[in-house]
Order: sequence, then C-alpha cells, then structure tokens
Amino acid sequence: MTGEHPALALRGLAKQFDGKVAVAGVDLAVPAGSFYGLLGPNGAGKTTTLSMAVGLLRPDHGNAWVLGHDVWGDPVEAKRLLGVMPDGVRLFDRLTGAELLAYHGLLRGMDPAVVDQRAAELLDVLALTDAGRTLVVDYSAGMKKKIGLACALLHGPRLLVLDEPFEAVDPVSAALIRDILHRYVVGGGTVVFSSHVMEVVERLCSHVAILADGTIKRVGTLAEVRGERSLEDVFVEVVGGRTATGEELAWLSR
Amino acid sequence: MAVPVSTPAERVRPVSPRHFVRLKLRVMGNNFRGQGWRIALFVVGVLVGLWFAAGGFLMFAAPGFADEPRYAVMAAAFGGGVLVLGWLLLPLVFFGVDETLDPARFALLPLSRRTLVTGLFAAALISVPVFAVLVAVAGLVVSAALLGGAVAGVVAAVGVVAGVLLCVAASRAVTSAFATMLRSRRVRDLAAVLLAVVAALLGPLQLVVLAAVRTADWDRLVGVARIVGWTPFGAPWTIGLDVAEGRAWAVPVKLLITAVTIGALLLWWSRSLESAMVGAASAAPTKTRQAPTGGAIAQLFPRAVGWARRDRFGALVARECRYWWRDARRRANLITIAVVGIFVPVMVNLGGAGFAVGQEGFESTGDPSPVLLSISMIFVGVLASVTLANQFGFDGSAYAANVVAGVPGRLELRARMTAFSVYVLPMLGLVSLIISGVLGRPEWFGVAAGALLASYGVGLAINGFISVLGAYSLPETSNPFAMNGGSGVAKSMLTLLSMVGSAAAAVPMVVAAGLLGDVWLWLALPVGAAYGVGAALLGAYLAGDVLDRRMPELLSTVTPRR
Repeated sequence: MTGEHPALALRGLAKQFDGKVAVAGVDLAVPAGSFYGLLGPNGAGKTTTLSMAVGLLRPDHGNAWVLGHDVWGDPVEAKRLLGVMPDGVRLFDRLTGAELLAYHGLLRGMDPAVVDQRAAELLDVLALTDAGRTLVVDYSAGMKKKIGLACALLHGPRLLVLDEPFEAVDPVSAALIRDILHRYVVGGGTVVFSSHVMEVVERLCSHVAILADGTIKRVGTLAEVRGERSLEDVFVEVVGGRTATGEELAWLSR
Repeated sequence: MAVPVSTPAERVRPVSPRHFVRLKLRVMGNNFRGQGWRIALFVVGVLVGLWFAAGGFLMFAAPGFADEPRYAVMAAAFGGGVLVLGWLLLPLVFFGVDETLDPARFALLPLSRRTLVTGLFAAALISVPVFAVLVAVAGLVVSAALLGGAVAGVVAAVGVVAGVLLCVAASRAVTSAFATMLRSRRVRDLAAVLLAVVAALLGPLQLVVLAAVRTADWDRLVGVARIVGWTPFGAPWTIGLDVAEGRAWAVPVKLLITAVTIGALLLWWSRSLESAMVGAASAAPTKTRQAPTGGAIAQLFPRAVGWARRDRFGALVARECRYWWRDARRRANLITIAVVGIFVPVMVNLGGAGFAVGQEGFESTGDPSPVLLSISMIFVGVLASVTLANQFGFDGSAYAANVVAGVPGRLELRARMTAFSVYVLPMLGLVSLIISGVLGRPEWFGVAAGALLASYGVGLAINGFISVLGAYSLPETSNPFAMNGGSGVAKSMLTLLSMVGSAAAAVPMVVAAGLLGDVWLWLALPVGAAYGVGAALLGAYLAGDVLDRRMPELLSTVTPRR
C-alpha cells in the first residue's frame, strides 16, 4: 500500500428509503493502487453505496474518506481527487461530446489549454471523434459509457469510481475501456467499480467485495475470495440463488 | 401446477377505458404513498379548485335565480366559450398538462390507436381541474332548470358534460400537437415565425374587440352570444337555454356540432400521439452538419457568451445557454415568455384605456397611465423569472455532474441567472420598445424597462430560493408540457406563490410611478435596474448558501423516480 491512507475508506455507511433498508452498514478499505470490484446482484445496494461514497447521496449513518479526506466534511478536496461515472444518471446530454468534456474540464477548474488538449486526446483514443457534432443524447449506449468515462478521467483523478462501466457495452468498446482502466491503475491510480459480470471482475480485479442485501458478504483479494473455486460459484453461493426445477414455466414450451 | 396451454387461439380480453382510469388512480395513489406533504398540497389544490368552482357555479346559476334569460344566454355562451379557450391555451402558457400516464409507455402494448386514445382520454378526465369545472358549470344546469323546467335542466346537464369533454379533448389535442411540433428541431424556426404572426395579429384584433365593446348595447351582445352559441365554443353550454326558450330543435344540431368537434379533436390527438410514441426514442437526430471547428472549449461557448471567462462560471453559463435553446422543454418556456410578454401588456394597456373610457365618460383622454404600464410590466417580468422556479428540475439527474464537481451554490445560481438573462434581457428590452411604441409614448420606455428589470430581478432572487427548496422532478419524456404524477395542482400553487411574492416585492416601482410623476420618467430605468440587479445578486448569495447545504437532497428530488 502506498501512502498512509487507503484510496477509499467507508465506515458504517447505511441508508434507508421510506423505511426500507437499502444499505445496512458497509465498511470497506480500498488500498491505493488496487483494482477493486464491487460485486452484487441487482438491488444489492451497489449504486446506493457508491453514491454515498462519492457525495451524491447523503448517508443516514457512517462516513467515507477519499485518500484521507472526509467526503462529507471536506468535500472540496475529496472531490478534487475523485473521478466518478454514475450509472442510471444522465449526462448533460444535449451537448456534443467535445462540449461536454469542455464543460467538465472547466467545472473542475482546469486550464482551458489543458482541457482542449486532453479532450482531443480522449475523444481520439475512445474513437468518438467521428461523432462530430452529434449530441450525446443521440449516442449509442456504448458511446455514452465511453464519453462518461472520458468525463471522469479528464481532470486526472487519483481515484476513479465507476458504477456498472461495462453494462450495455459491446465487446470492442469493453476491451477499450478495460485497456484504459488497466493503464490507469498501472500508472498509480485506483479504480473501484461495480459489476455483476464475473468474467470482467476475474480478469481485471486485484480485490473483490461481494455485496448482497445491503451488507458486505465477502471481501479480500481476488485469490482470497475465490479460493479454489470459480468466482461465479462463490457468488451464487453467497447470494443464495435459486435453481429452476423445470416444473414451472412449462407453458413456455409449446 | 401450471398446465401447458396448447390452444393457439387464446381469448384476448378487450381493454376498456376503465383499465386506464384505474391505472391512473393507482398511479396517483402510489405517488402519495409515504409523502405527507404531497397529500397536504393535493388537499390544498382541491380546496382552491373548489373555491374557484363555487365562484363559477354562482356566476352561471345567478341568471336563473334572477330570472333573466338574456343574461343566462350571455353567461352560457361567453362563460363557456372562455372555459374552452382557457383549456385550449392555459396548458400551453402556464400549467402544462398532467402526463401521469405517459403515452410512450404504451407503445409496446398491442393496443389499437382507438383503444389507446379513448383510454387516455378517459384517464385525463380524472383530475382536479376537470372536477372543478364540472362543479362550476353545474350552475348552468340550475339556471336552465329554473328558467325552463326539469326537461331543460336535464338537457343542460347533457350539454354540460359534453362541454367538459370538449374542453379536455381540446387541451390534449393542442398540447400534444404543439409538443410534436416543437420537438422536431427542423420546425422550430417555423414555430417562431408562426408565433410572431400571432403576436402581430393581436393588435388589430384588440382594436376590433374594443370597438365592439364600446359601441355595443346589450341587444347586440346577446346577438353575439347567440352566434357564439352556434360555434363549438358555445354550443354545448347553451342547449339547456334553447329548450327553455322553446327551441328544442336546436338541441340535436348543437349536440352534433359538439360531438363532431370532439371527434375531430380526438382524431387530431391520436395522430400526434402516434408520432409522440414512435418518435420519443429517436427524436430527430442532429445532422452532422459540418466538422466541428476549434477546440472543445471553443465549441462549448456560443457566440452570445463569447465574453465569458473560460472558467467555472463561464462553463456553467455556456452550458445553460446551450440548454435553453436545445432542450425542447426550456425552449417552449422561452417562446411562452416572448408571446405573453408582448400579448399581455398590449391587452392590459389598451384594454385599460377602454375601461377608463367606460367609467369616466367619453371626455377623459382614457390614456393608459405609467402606473398601469408598470403593473403590466411587473406581470411580464415576474412571468419571465418564474420560469426558473424549477430550474434544477430541467436538468434532472444530469445535475449529478455539478454535485460531483462540487460547484459552489452561489456560483451555480449566479451562472444560471446570467445564462437565462442572455435570452430574457433582450426580450424585455424589445417588450419595452414595442409597448411604448404601441402606446405612442416613447418617453415611457424608461418606465417600462425599469419596472421590467426590477420585477425580473426580484423574481430571480425569489425563484432562486424556490428552485433550491421546492424543486421537483420532471418526467423524462420529450413532451415539453408534461407534468409529473397527478400533483400538477400543487406545483402550480408553488408557482403562483412565487409569482405573488415577486410581484409584491416589485410594488415599490408602481408606487414610485404613481407618486413621482415626470421625474420618474428619467429615474425609472436606473433605479429599476439597480433594484433588480441588487435583488438578484442578494438572492443568489443567500440561496446559494442554502444550496451548498443541500446539494445531494436537491439531486434526489430532481431525479425522476423509476
């Protein structure tokens, strides 16, 4: 671990919606320089947890620290070090890709010349230059993920938090995103991302946490969590899936 | 244990409007679940609706109690006509249309267009305004029954129900068609031209109406009312009185007029509905006109804000400016301001002249006064600023970007006010020019502009607070007139509250116009500008502080629930 602080530390994060518990006390320490996968089935509380960790959703209890900076107490410094790509959140999608990047860059207080140069580079690497003056609202799902990633990377954050970065992305774009993230981690950054695609997590991550019903069920390095088995087996066992008997839904076959 | 269904011809149960009505009630009910303040606002809305309904009821029923058939005809024809006109225009200007049941959600269901339209129409009838109007026009039934006996009353009841149906059909058809029109980016220029033409027509029309009112005696007005009674605007409301006056033959004819009109409106609606359903997903992709020029930053800043520094403030202003034009919902608001901003002052000031003539005989000059001018200008300024009452709602969940970047609240609000003013200030200047030109008093330009700036400024300040504290999510449809979840009444209440507050804060301008006389002609513009700018800055300063403390809460209130 480099430095004295973990890249992201969560302590006792909890959130209820209308009396229904979404996240029931999550503790997590993401070491700097790690590639951290947050796994969980739909509705496990992944998005809620990450939203609270990055300052988008105020937790009922608990707190979050980005490289030692309190997200809720010292948001300015914490947010400076943080790049976020939320899921299910619209971008300012009536801008073109270049306009959106310029907006994010200036909003982060970057120098205009640096913004121009980095935006051009990012659009080029992510194969979005051809989109030209197309508005982001008219982009395909994969293109939207890529421009979202570009916005999160633009200001060179130390910690990148991505919610479902591989959802609805075609294999070519997914490979591209993987490459970029890999290079980012090699260069000293830290990535936390949520997913329910086992292959991607197994391929990329150094550390894994499995979240279900709003609590962390398993946590550790990939090897520790996986043990001798495949990650998918561990996941299904932890989450408690149900196997079809073949009796029901008989009407599906005519 | 399920049994495999092997019969290929499963019986499909027909879908009736009843299903839509129940769905709407269920959605409304679920919206209230666990939200005490929503229920409270809804109750307040119902009470306000009842208040207006009671007033309308008395107006419509009074001629019956007074035994005055002539006034009854006028009340029915003119009052009913105004109702239809109101349902036609008000949703476009003020309140939006309740889109609890978004037509696009039904796109994948195997429903015929006919089923869908009748269903949505039936669901549209379940709303507080419809209920209120029904109560009000029940006065016509009472009136007809008192004047013509039970039969006339029954006929009037039929007519009144038909009339309410007509109102709802008209509002749906017009908003839907207008929404489709504005959505297509190609047509927006056409729309602007069209609105300009309408605005230009208002002047002559105004003079005609004024002349008619001035010269007309009651007999003439009753004659006009009878003619209106034969148009779709008055037909459904007057049939009860026709029976009372012994013209039973008119009833089927007028009912036919009404029915044909409703049918035509529903047909029109179903046309635009289809394009709304199909076009929602792929609304006119932008053509890749030319290759982008310059760097990313140069592309972000429109020419109108080229003066802005390339920093956070500048970026916010530039993005907002782009949005006011590119977002159909916001553009519809801008167009509304432009049209109403011209229409209302012209009407009030020329109409005010008419009133003055009526009261003081024909010798008084009947000129509009600086006071009246200031009042009408304050209305325009307030109307312009109230557009920002839900400025964060326009962004929806995209506002998350600003939260993540940690934009300071004061900066955020100041930038939003600036960007909106880039569009509105030239408009306000134009309004002042036009109104002082139309009135033939160019020296009143300062009074008009001063009142506009003052009311617009205090409006910005008050709506800064409203937008932070009373934000609500807008549905993510492409219909710029859509409102969310059956609580339209409550939202309009908040808007009205903000308008009343802003208008009250701008009253000093009116007082000054009344007291200071000719000095005010020179002082109004600088004083109004200083007052407005000062108020707006103070508002941004104070409301920005509130915003800093509740950015995540604001984000979750403007994020549409799914």
